[in-house]
Amino acid sequence: MPSVALKEPQAGQSGARWPARSGLWGATAAREEARLGRWLVLPVAAVTVALVIYPLVLGFETSLYAAGSTLSARGNFVGAGNYAEVIKDPATISAALHTLEYVGICLVLQLAGGLVTAVALRRAFRGRGLMFGVLIMPWALPSVVSGVLWRRFFAPDNGLLNSLLLHLHLIHNAQVWMATGWAIPWIAVVHVWGTLPLITLILLAGLQSIPDEVYSASAVDGATPARQFWHITLPLLRPALVVAAIIGLVDAVTIFDEIYVLNGIALNTSSVVMQVYNLIFVQADFPHGIAFAFLIAAFSALLAVVALIAARLRRTA
Amino acid sequence: MKPSPAARALRTIVIVVIAAWSLGPVAIGVLTSISSQNDVQAVPARWWPHQLNLDAYRAIVGGVHSAGTVAGCVGCNTAADASAFGQSLLSSVEVTAEATLATLLVSVVAGYALSRLRFRGGKVLLWAVVGTLVIPLFTLVVALFRMMVELHLINTQLGLVLVYLSAEAPLAMWLLYNHCRDLPPEPEEAALMDGCTRWQAFRMVVLPQMRSGIAALAAIVMLLTYGQFLIPLLLGSTPSTTPVTVLITEFVGKYTTNYPILAAAGVIAVLPPAIIALLLNRHIRGMLSGATG
Amino acid sequence: MNADSPANSIVLESVRKEFQGGVVAVRDISLEVDHGEFIVLVGPSGCGKTTTLRMVAGLEEVTGGEVRINGRDVTRLPPRKRDIAMVFQNYALYAHMNVRGNIGFGLKMAGVPKNEIRDRVEAAARMLGIVSLLDRKPRQLSGGERQRVAMGRAIVREPAAFLMDEPLSNLDAKLRVEMREEIVNLQRRLGTPTLYVTHDQVEAMTMGDRVAILCLGELQQLGPPEEVYENPANLFVATFIGSPAMNVLTARLESEDGHCVVSLGNQRLPVPPSVLGRRPRLADYGGRELILGVRPEDFRPANHGPGGDEGVVSVTISRAESLGSELIVYFTLDGVGEPREGEPAPGPEAIAAIRDQVSIVTAGKLTARLGRNALPREGGRADLAVDLEHLYFFDPKTGAAIVR
Repeated sequence: MPSVALKEPQAGQSGARWPARSGLWGATAAREEARLGRWLVLPVAAVTVALVIYPLVLGFETSLYAAGSTLSARGNFVGAGNYAEVIKDPATISAALHTLEYVGICLVLQLAGGLVTAVALRRAFRGRGLMFGVLIMPWALPSVVSGVLWRRFFAPDNGLLNSLLLHLHLIHNAQVWMATGWAIPWIAVVHVWGTLPLITLILLAGLQSIPDEVYSASAVDGATPARQFWHITLPLLRPALVVAAIIGLVDAVTIFDEIYVLNGIALNTSSVVMQVYNLIFVQADFPHGIAFAFLIAAFSALLAVVALIAARLRRTA
Repeated sequence: MKPSPAARALRTIVIVVIAAWSLGPVAIGVLTSISSQNDVQAVPARWWPHQLNLDAYRAIVGGVHSAGTVAGCVGCNTAADASAFGQSLLSSVEVTAEATLATLLVSVVAGYALSRLRFRGGKVLLWAVVGTLVIPLFTLVVALFRMMVELHLINTQLGLVLVYLSAEAPLAMWLLYNHCRDLPPEPEEAALMDGCTRWQAFRMVVLPQMRSGIAALAAIVMLLTYGQFLIPLLLGSTPSTTPVTVLITEFVGKYTTNYPILAAAGVIAVLPPAIIALLLNRHIRGMLSGATG
Repeated sequence: MNADSPANSIVLESVRKEFQGGVVAVRDISLEVDHGEFIVLVGPSGCGKTTTLRMVAGLEEVTGGEVRINGRDVTRLPPRKRDIAMVFQNYALYAHMNVRGNIGFGLKMAGVPKNEIRDRVEAAARMLGIVSLLDRKPRQLSGGERQRVAMGRAIVREPAAFLMDEPLSNLDAKLRVEMREEIVNLQRRLGTPTLYVTHDQVEAMTMGDRVAILCLGELQQLGPPEEVYENPANLFVATFIGSPAMNVLTARLESEDGHCVVSLGNQRLPVPPSVLGRRPRLADYGGRELILGVRPEDFRPANHGPGGDEGVVSVTISRAESLGSELIVYFTLDGVGEPREGEPAPGPEAIAAIRDQVSIVTAGKLTARLGRNALPREGGRADLAVDLEHLYFFDPKTGAAIVR
């Protein structure tokens, strides 16, 4: 007959004689798991160390030495000197101001456009699948090639934009767009054309994570669609908006391809990355170029972190 | 809640606008590529070509020289240009395929290992690799250039592939790590009970589970790699390794206002990514929207 | 427990699981599943039953103690070396293989020749009635069918033991009852020792040869279903097993005219000598407060008059629910005061679950299960007789049953 074991509950008694970790006993199953794990992450670790961390350190080192260094011959150690010079350089300052303009325009257009698109695509409708394919196209195409396709649009004399605006009597003479103050906004539009799909998808995911019941409940409470949007959708969408904003921001700070193909290295549309290109490729001034690149990278990383923290703080408030 | 008719009408309008906005430039590009120079130079501009003209394609693809194709062109040699274009298209496709394969090999196993296996330093590695995501590639390019030179990999396809690998592996790993975490762990456990070693369970059960995620990731990596511009520009390349993105900007320099040829080159150049996007758009969408973890 | 384990068994000895951060999920559990036995681990969520099962399976690392299967120490071995099979709660089928592939996968891994795999897979399929499904994929199957495939996968390997993690939880009620019987019959046919986890005490009572009740990582009682029902070891077991749950109240044990009575407010229940004989330790509680337990099924309408019931209480019915076959009556004891805040609850020596999960009342809602013709009207007063042979007593500080 199976015996009965009556266990009186005794709080506080536990098998305290055994160690909490099993390491002493040659954990076979755990060892196997750990061994496989280490092997499987070895490639990515090696790639990261050899091709990211090492060049990072190397590049940083180069930025600490005097300009005029070639790749192999180093000049004098100037420490933060290059960084200071870069910051004070008028070309840098104008590039930075331009970049601010790019970022501002891009963020506004992306978030507004992305939100509108996400809301429109939120509920299923016939052909939505195809619509997604269409939506994603601008993002999928290389931005350089898209820029080439947009070129005819901005062409000086008989460009399509000029023709359209002349036809609508919005302007009187054909403009050389890339030489005017409209150059930066137009280039921003082209950039937004390429990144809007990604922003839209992020916002769409955020929208779809809002349960329908919330809307039903508010409708029962008498909320109009407009109020629903303002008081329910937007607040609940905040995390996605933050992510979209950060991604859009970092992406806009590093704008380059569209500028290059629409207006080359012209100064009036130069961005910070364009200036890096200028320093490294055109002027072959590696230390300054790298220094500037580091500054940009640090700045956008900082922005992203600040934005994340701010979002998290406000959420818990 | 069904939207009201007014809301639905509004939505339809928005959708039409979005479609026009998304496809407009591409459509214009296509139309331009089949226009003649006359059509393009006409004032006021003609959006729709009056005569269908395939000279641009003949030039770009076949190297066929014709009156229209050299108009507005400085120092062009149609035959040489066509040959260079074909070569760089091929080069782009090859490099993209190789870089994607390498990235997949590296990141699939890493993403799995970090999400399912326990080993010392796993968490640290995850955050370290994710941390590198904030480092833009142009920060590293000079040093990478120097490294490539010393390894005699400069201007080679392999060197380019390695650079792309370093740029894409962290992101790919992060996306796959998240994807793996969303998959149910029980089938893997069942496989362990059924007699599999950890590696066998991964190969035979988890990997099939990850199929759609891997497809999505492959598509995303392919699109990102194909579209790389600044990096190959900075690293420099020989004619045989120039990606089509760089070559097309050279064409812009040469053919300046010869829009049909530029458009034709552009249309052909975007065919590979366009096809990938159309075929795999559902997967891509899933992975991108799930990446906001 | 005997240190020599017979062949064909699962043995847990002082098994303990501590997670990083100090959370102890399983404390010092020891039990044995003998050849042919079906043992059910049951308890509320978070009691550690699944963790324990997974430690036996090899899917969780064991922090302390030993797990032995067929006499072999498997504590550190990976699952594949333990010769066990597991059925998961959500089936865990391989989505990319068909049913045949799913069932035969383990055999393929073991290197069994193809013909034999085919034969054994078909034999298992016949036993489970899923031969027609062999070429389908999991996504084409219903929940019940998937469950059978999961079982097929387990039995085809003829392992030394079965582990089952709430396999019926995801099925609808009717299917659950059907599958319950099938699983038990299957296990009887195969004779394989089985460790079965569930949170449903009905499943535990109807399926197990022995039932192991867990709470907060500790084994409360291990025994056959009747034993656990008739002689619960503590308040937790007493109120966990049986539905509706046992009524528990604070009461005082007193002596009256040389007889032992238990007083509830101003009502009294005599304690028969037979009960005192079975629970000699009750003598220590004379004049003290303790916890009295009466199961709902141990009430019946009082029969006054000569030869009538001795233990009768006056009650006020607050609600009666007719289930057709029986009547569930909710009532309060007359003359017993309102529940006082902070009433003697079990002391700190009692395990936390008893403090949390059992609400001790001096008065307030009690439940009785009466036959369908029992007549109490709602709001009416009635006299209910208590089956005095089935009075339960528990220590008010530790919650332990007062026995000997």
